[in-house]
Amino acid sequence: MAEIDDVLPNTLDARLELLDAKPQFDESGLVSSRYNLRLNAGECALIECRDMGQAALFADMCVGLIPLGDGHVRCMGLDWADLDERRSNALRGRIGRVVMTGGWVDLYGTHMNILWPQLHHTRIPIDRLQSQAVHLAVRLGLPGLPVIPPNRLSAMDRQRAACVRAMMGEPALLLLEHPMEGASAGLMNAFLSLVTDLRDRGCAVVWMAPDESGWGDYASDATIRLRLYDDGLFSMRGS
Amino acid sequence: MKGLRNLDRITMVRSMLVHLGYFSRTQMRFTLMMIGAGWGIMREATRLTTWRRTVRIEFWASLHQAVGGGILSTLVTAALTGFGIVAQTVYWLGFAGMAQMTGSILSTVLVREIAPVLVGVILLGRSGMLMLTELGTLTTGGQMRAMTGMGVDPFISFLLPRSLAMTISGFTLGIIFSMTALLVGYAVCRVEDAITMPIWAFLDQVVSSVKPIDYFVIPAKFIFSGYAVGVCSCLSGMDVTTEDDLSSMLPRGFARGMLSIMVINVVFSVCFDG
Repeated sequence: MAEIDDVLPNTLDARLELLDAKPQFDESGLVSSRYNLRLNAGECALIECRDMGQAALFADMCVGLIPLGDGHVRCMGLDWADLDERRSNALRGRIGRVVMTGGWVDLYGTHMNILWPQLHHTRIPIDRLQSQAVHLAVRLGLPGLPVIPPNRLSAMDRQRAACVRAMMGEPALLLLEHPMEGASAGLMNAFLSLVTDLRDRGCAVVWMAPDESGWGDYASDATIRLRLYDDGLFSMRGS
Repeated sequence: MKGLRNLDRITMVRSMLVHLGYFSRTQMRFTLMMIGAGWGIMREATRLTTWRRTVRIEFWASLHQAVGGGILSTLVTAALTGFGIVAQTVYWLGFAGMAQMTGSILSTVLVREIAPVLVGVILLGRSGMLMLTELGTLTTGGQMRAMTGMGVDPFISFLLPRSLAMTISGFTLGIIFSMTALLVGYAVCRVEDAITMPIWAFLDQVVSSVKPIDYFVIPAKFIFSGYAVGVCSCLSGMDVTTEDDLSSMLPRGFARGMLSIMVINVVFSVCFDG
């Protein structure tokens, strides 16, 4: 846990920086193109990607899980390639993620799943974590913190719980893989309000969706809009 | 014509060597993984920062499951073993006029040789297979990768606490097994009048026949059997691919677990043969 002190953000460093990052296709499955992206504190990138499997691999590359053949991927100024296992994990603790597969461990209740990353990476007392989780859950339309296993929740409630888990703590970077799939207008508004709050506090956001409807009316609030194709990351016309 | 026949032979030998090499490499791969993981767990367990809240939660849950879940099976198996082995040993040694050998034979055969194997098998069947299934499902479902993406290392969060919980369970269940088997055996013999000495004299006979080296070997067998079952089951669960399912995971994990129990027991018996 001491490692967390070593990865405290420097306000001048980009929250996420991909510099000619070229993943190794053999080991990752991500197309071996050169990816470039720079996100500073409070910025938001909306990325359209028809193949969400590819988007998940791109998010994996952003958190240093994919080996690079060339280039650099940096998070908060730290190059993943220079960090050992412990420091990499500590840095990943500063990133909130909503993953397409859910990433739920059904051995525990949903509340434990939500609190798990914070329980692992921090020493914040559990009652404080619980009250923060309850606050976020209520804002996203849940009656409280769900305690039943994730596989017994409805798909929409699981999505709400995934957003709560990603926003717990003070994430420096949010990686969202189509978090609002099939969401109602009410849920979308609550979610956008929370994302805006986090951005105001310096969190950078990467929001991926298969088409523009994935982020509703938020397109105008984004810093940059991109498309993820088989041959790399491209700016969208007019962004 | 002769040249072609020689070429066929060379191709056949090469094919055999390829299969032999593939078999040896795949077998050795898991053994080396087990040795590496075993050493890694011991090294990580000594670091204070490893024992985070999530690791402690997982450790206590696994310990509760392994000891609490396995105690009934251990008691029943121990009672049956006591009924079978202790009673028969006492009866036949008495019949042969060698009753003074009772303690020595029981401590050697039952406590030193049979108990660690049976406790290992109980642990493997009752908890090891459960761990394998749980971790295998999480791996194939992509949850392990998602957890890694959140900075939660599955090695620290699952493999380490579960293996250490199995180690403690191995020792605990082993001692319970040995005591239960001896007591049930004594009770059966007493009921059948095959033995007339009081329980304290019987236990004293068993204890005094235990050699000094056995005070190390017996607990070591329990501890290392539990550790091997834990590491083997967790590693088998985390080593699955998307092509694996329960029908391929479970038999493979069971075979590996049984083999590791046997190897631990044979190595200790051979190296520390008093």
